[in-house]
Order: sequence, then structure tokens, then C-alpha cells
Amino acid sequence: MQALEERDYFTDYEILKDPYAFFEAVRSHGPVYQPPGRDYLIVTGFAETLEVLKNSADFSAIIGVQGASAPLPFEPSGSDISEQVEAHRDRILGGDLLVNYDDDLHTKTRALLNRLFTPSRLKANERFIDEYSDEIARQMIARGGCELMRDVATPFVTLVIADLLGVPADDRQHFMNVIDAAPPPGSLNTEENDFRGENHPLTVMGGFFARYILERRANPREDILNEFAHSTYPDGSVPELEELVKMAAFLFGAGQDTSAKLLGNSIRYITDQPGLQDQLRADPSLIPQLLEEVLRLEGSTKQTARLARRDTRIGDRAVPAGTKILVALSAANRDGERWEEPNAFALNRPKIKEHLAFGRGKHVCAGAPLARVEVRIILEKFLAYTSNIDLDEAKHGPRGNRDLNYDPSFIVRGLTELHVKFTPAEGVDLSQASSQAETAQ
Amino acid sequence: MPDLIVIDRDGNETTVPSPSDRTVMEVIRDAGFDDMLALCGGCCSCATCHVFVDPAQADLLPAISADETDLLDTSNHRTEYSRLSCQIQLTESLSGLRVTLAPDD
Ligand code: HEM
Ligand code: FES
Repeated sequence: MQALEERDYFTDYEILKDPYAFFEAVRSHGPVYQPPGRDYLIVTGFAETLEVLKNSADFSAIIGVQGASAPLPFEPSGSDISEQVEAHRDRILGGDLLVNYDDDLHTKTRALLNRLFTPSRLKANERFIDEYSDEIARQMIARGGCELMRDVATPFVTLVIADLLGVPADDRQHFMNVIDAAPPPGSLNTEENDFRGENHPLTVMGGFFARYILERRANPREDILNEFAHSTYPDGSVPELEELVKMAAFLFGAGQDTSAKLLGNSIRYITDQPGLQDQLRADPSLIPQLLEEVLRLEGSTKQTARLARRDTRIGDRAVPAGTKILVALSAANRDGERWEEPNAFALNRPKIKEHLAFGRGKHVCAGAPLARVEVRIILEKFLAYTSNIDLDEAKHGPRGNRDLNYDPSFIVRGLTELHVKFTPAEGVDLSQASSQAETAQ
Repeated sequence: MPDLIVIDRDGNETTVPSPSDRTVMEVIRDAGFDDMLALCGGCCSCATCHVFVDPAQADLLPAISADETDLLDTSNHRTEYSRLSCQIQLTESLSGLRVTLAPDD
């Protein structure tokens, strides 16, 4: 039988179920390893992962979206392939998106975004998050249970980012339908990894955002999209329409799956760790700690990728220009050199926020503050209005032997479905859903 | 090319030339200072880019925003010279700015 570490991470459905076992098998050969027959390195060490993410001079993010196994559209030659990379940027999947940008183009585009995700903007958004999560939690608990991903997580995160960006209420349902129908990012079925189709969410939402921005550039209004439409780079110059359109559409894409999956993964820990949900109900201020630990153990982004564009090193290993690298964030987050009892769930780990679930360095997740706020608030609601949350054993089997399905993606770690049952807390009037939300406005 | 002078946590001083229109955080991070975590990437949400500016230069900097001051309040090491380096644009006129990396919170 083929050794685990020699199987294909990018297409293997067994690895999809337990990517952690695969990365441990890889790690047994050291923190940086090239499996036989593969043309990329896999980095599983925490220190080595940090080194790669921080060294953006030598490592290009150009292959972040397509992943380390996809072929390059050119034959790398020489000790510095920076020019080759730039010459082929438009032929690499996602080469025109912020996550794949390098150097100055990245820095100035990221600056646009940083000014959009300010704490005061998030605070304004928090009211919407609070009201909407209150309503949806009461509704689902009154029903006694739900399929958490479809009924709660996906519509919730979509409406939150729609509210943050100021998408008009009338268009929101349409956005949800488009996202619902799309394949996951980083699909194991590589034919699906094409963004150019007319029904791809990036294309459809791009069309909407182009209209919003043009309307506001012609006739300024008092809303967030207006600010977005009139934003400038740090040097005062005005971004192309297309740049803003891509960014807005990408925020839906990036914020979508990952945050929704974080909610699902968190509920799974809450239901499966003995005593945890009661502990969190007794002290809801532990919820942020819970989220960080779930992000560490089962963050929704399993891996990203980089391309060495100059001859360089990772630790003491020489890495020639042109080497593709699978950066296993989820393995770095379970590296025994960095974390005590790395595979155990524990609240209150020291320096837990230094986990790599959101990446690090210049591409570190721009949506992390939003993801943390939205998932915290909705968990608070579900815990406050219930005395027990459990998985539906008829669907998922008993605790200790759960049957769970994960989205077929080499990027995202997330449950496809999570059937949940609720026992309402005593004395909570769930019927007040709509009246509560109204008085809160 | 404005210069930034960085004093790390061990007290070592380094002069870093930088392209203009970068933030002080970006300049320090991209120069490879390990103590600059900048966990949020510059969206004023983590306070791990906290620096102390040279008292003689504090008045040259743009005013501190409400978001920045709220976040600085979460640090145990805040002083009157505290700034979040991701909120300071290193313009030509700020060339020679001296900043000290604040201790870990
Ligand atoms: C739990 C939820 C999330 C996780 C685990 C996550 C994870 C990540 C990771 C690992 C990266 C870095 C990729 C790399 O270095 O190649 C990243 C980048 C990014 N994320 Fe997230 N993300 C989450 C939620 C969000 C949300 C809610 C948004 C926006 C609404 C968002 C927007 C972005 C953007 C724009 C980037 C690119 C930043 C850049 O290249 O400068 N993310 N995310
Ligand atoms: S980098 Fe996070 S606040 Fe400055």
C-alpha cells in the first residue's frame, strides 16, 4: 500500500476527511519535505511556515489560489524568476486577485482594504450582526434543530458582509443564490477551478459592484459603497473601477466559506468536547478563546501556497527559484515544537492569537476581525438561548464516532452539513424573535 | 526615499530607507523585524504594531483617530508617545522619524 505521505493531497478523498493525519505523516520526514514524485515542497513546521510567509521578497503569492500542485504556465529558468512570474501573472488562476498580488501592487491595494475594515466600521456592522443573529438563533431553536450550514451559517455570513459593504437589501437574496450554486474554492475537482465562467460568483457579483460604483461615481450618496467608490490609494491616485470591483466580489468569496465553516467547526467542538458548552454558558467571555483554539486545531483554511522567485532558503534547506511550496497552515498550528500537546483541545493557551489560521505577513487575512466578531456573536446567542446543543445522532452517529462530510476543497476545511438539535433554555421566550429585533432597532 | 529609524526591543538602532507612501508598520515588517507581529495586517485591529515615537517628533505626526486611541488603550504599555505604526504614513516630510518597538503585551 502507498504510504500516506505519498498520496495526492490535492485529489485524495481520504486525506480530505483527515488532512491532519496526512500532514503528520509528512512531518515525520521533517518540517520541510518533498514527497516522492511531487514537484512541490510541503512545509509543516511552525517556524518554517512563518519564515516563508514573512519572506515576501523571495516567495511570491502568485500561486496562492491555484495551489502548489497546479502546473506553472512557464518553465522557470535562472536564479531569479521574478520577471517570468510577472510576465505570466494573467495566465495564473487568481493572478489578478489581491491574495495573489506581490510587492507594491499588493501593498497599495491592501491599503484600500485596510481603510474599509476599520474598527468603527465593524462596530456599526455589529448592530446588524447582533439583531440578525438574535432572530435566526431564536427561530432555529424554536424549531428544535436545523442543518446549521445551509440554514444558518451561509445566509448569516453573506448578509453580514452585504451589510458591511452596503449592498442594497433587494439584491442580497440574489447574491445568496449565486453563492449557493457555486463550487467550493480550491475544488478537488480541478475543472471547477475556473473563475471566468459567467455564472461564477466573482463574475456575477462583479457586475453588481461595477454598477454600484459607477452610480456613485456619477452621483455621490451617503453610504459605504460611496466611500468605496471614491477611495484612493495612499499616494492619492484613484483605483481603476475593475480593481474595486474585484476586491468587493472577492470579499464575498473569501469571507463566505471560511467564516461559515468556522461557525460549523466551532459548533462541532462545542457539542463534542465534554463539559465545554456548560463552561461557555457559565462564562461567555471564554468564547473568544474557544474560537482561537478552534482556528488553531481546525481553522477553515488548511493551506496556502507560495512560489520561490529567487534562490533562497527555508531554515537550512536551499530552495531554488521556481520551487512551489504547499504552506500547511493547519500543520503549523499543530507543530509540537510550538504547541504543547498540539492535538489536544485546550482553552487559554498562552499566545494563542499567534496561530497561523489567518496566515501572517503581508497577506494576513483582512477579514479576521470580522470573522471573529460575527462568529462570536452568533455563538453567544445560540448558547444563551439553549440548555443543550447536540449533533443529530440519526445523521451523524454518536459522539466519539461521528460521520461527517467535508467540502471537497484542498483549501477550505469545512463541514458540508451539520445537523444540530437544540434544547431551549428554561424561561427564554423564543416567540419574541421579531418583536425583539424590532425594539432593538 | 524617506528614512525610518527603528529601535528594536534589544535597543539596537537601524536606519531603514523606504519607498514613500508606506505605513511605518509596513516598512518595519518588510525589513524583517521579528518583533513586529502586525497580526491584523494594518487594519487597526490588533495593537501588535505598537511603537513609541521620539518625543521630539511626536508633534510632526498626524492626529490620532478615535479607533487608534481605543485600541492603544488595550495595551499595558501605552505612553503619551504611543502610536500604532500601521496608522502612520511615512511621507517624505517624516524622513528621519525614530520609533521604538513597544514591549509585547
Ligand atoms: C475564519 C475565517 C477566515 C479564515 C480562516 C481566513 C483565512 C485567511 C488566510 C489564511 C489568508 C492568507 C492567505 C495567504 O497568505 O495566502 C487570508 C487572506 C484574506 N482573507 Fe481571510 N479568512 C477568513 C475570513 C475572512 C473574511 C470574513 C474576509 C472578508 C470579509 C476575508 C478576507 C480576506 C482577504 C481580502 C485576504 C487577502 C489579504 C491579502 O492578500 O492581503 N477573510 N484569509
Ligand atoms: S497592524 Fe494591527 S493594529 Fe496595526
